[in-house]
Amino acid sequence: MSAKAAKQKNLTKEEELLLQDFSRNVSTKSSALFYGNALIVSAIPIWLFWRIHQMDLYQSGILFVVGTVISTYLVSLAYKNVKFVLKHKVAQKREEAVAREVMKMISDDKKMNKKEKDERILWKKNEVADYEATTFSIFYNNAFYLVLLIVISFYILRNFNPNVNYVFSVGSAAGLLALFSTSTK
Amino acid sequence: MKIISVLLVLVASCLSGYMADDEGEPRLLASKNILNQYLVENKDLTVEYKIFNIGGSAAQNVRLEDAGFPEADFQLVAGNVQATWERIAPNTNVSHSVIVRPVSSGYYNFTAAEISYSAGADAKKRQVGYTSSPGEGGIVNFKEFNRRFSPHVVDWCVFAIMTLPSLGIPFLLWWSSKSKYDSKPKRS
Repeated sequence: MSAKAAKQKNLTKEEELLLQDFSRNVSTKSSALFYGNALIVSAIPIWLFWRIHQMDLYQSGILFVVGTVISTYLVSLAYKNVKFVLKHKVAQKREEAVAREVMKMISDDKKMNKKEKDERILWKKNEVADYEATTFSIFYNNAFYLVLLIVISFYILRNFNPNVNYVFSVGSAAGLLALFSTSTK
Repeated sequence: MKIISVLLVLVASCLSGYMADDEGEPRLLASKNILNQYLVENKDLTVEYKIFNIGGSAAQNVRLEDAGFPEADFQLVAGNVQATWERIAPNTNVSHSVIVRPVSSGYYNFTAAEISYSAGADAKKRQVGYTSSPGEGGIVNFKEFNRRFSPHVVDWCVFAIMTLPSLGIPFLLWWSSKSKYDSKPKRS
């Protein structure tokens, strides 16, 4: 009974670890990284609208700030969603390679029991998956966002008033990005 | 918007008795054309005047004067809005150009220039006539023109440089991790 209880306890602990590692919530550090990146990529269109669509930086300042803030939020949302989906896939893909690497590293350590080794592998796998999913999510969303923005702003809304163009192109690029990120599941 | 003006028969000859038998009279036809396809604020605008003498004798002391480009609206870049020719022989033509720069955008009515000449060296009364008038033309805002027609090569290059880190850094980080773990099974 006690063994079973202990096992139960272990499982719960493992489950907790899993739940924590594979949950949709991101750590503060990762969240800051996402918001920082989203802010940069959301602010880049200002250059295009200032230089190419000839909008005035001061006159349209409020519009730029509001647009950038909304876009930052939506892009970071897309980062999180894509990362969450990717992390599972990456974890499955890298399982073998990570296990091999960890086993190689700890092969000298005879004291370590199987459970500890498994935990070490799980931890490493989670770390690798998290890292790859984060970097790829940022890359993919940035590229997608910029492509959407250029297509909308310079092809679809080319002949519109620059202010209208800015609002709709930034809004719809970020909106579509967030929308697609939820549907990839 | 292309402004093509029609040749206007100069009134000068008419004034001196169009109906009369005037084989020996000089007759001038004058046109005023704006050669630019787009009239843009603060960009050069070329105006060309052409004067044809279709009469039987030379026109003397021909004077062309265009009051249609006031200083408040146009900046003179090259040429002069006044021109004189001592004589224009029969069946010949002369031309004159002036380059101006509109200082503001909006619609502007391009009016006719005035031309005056004497029928002969001894003629006391000078004949006065007008060129054709190109009519109303819209001067495009400089920003609007730039927005539509400038290639913005430098701006796009700067944009590319700005986007490069936000795409390149995450991609390289991802790639280094991917290649590290992907290549393992192949080696073993």
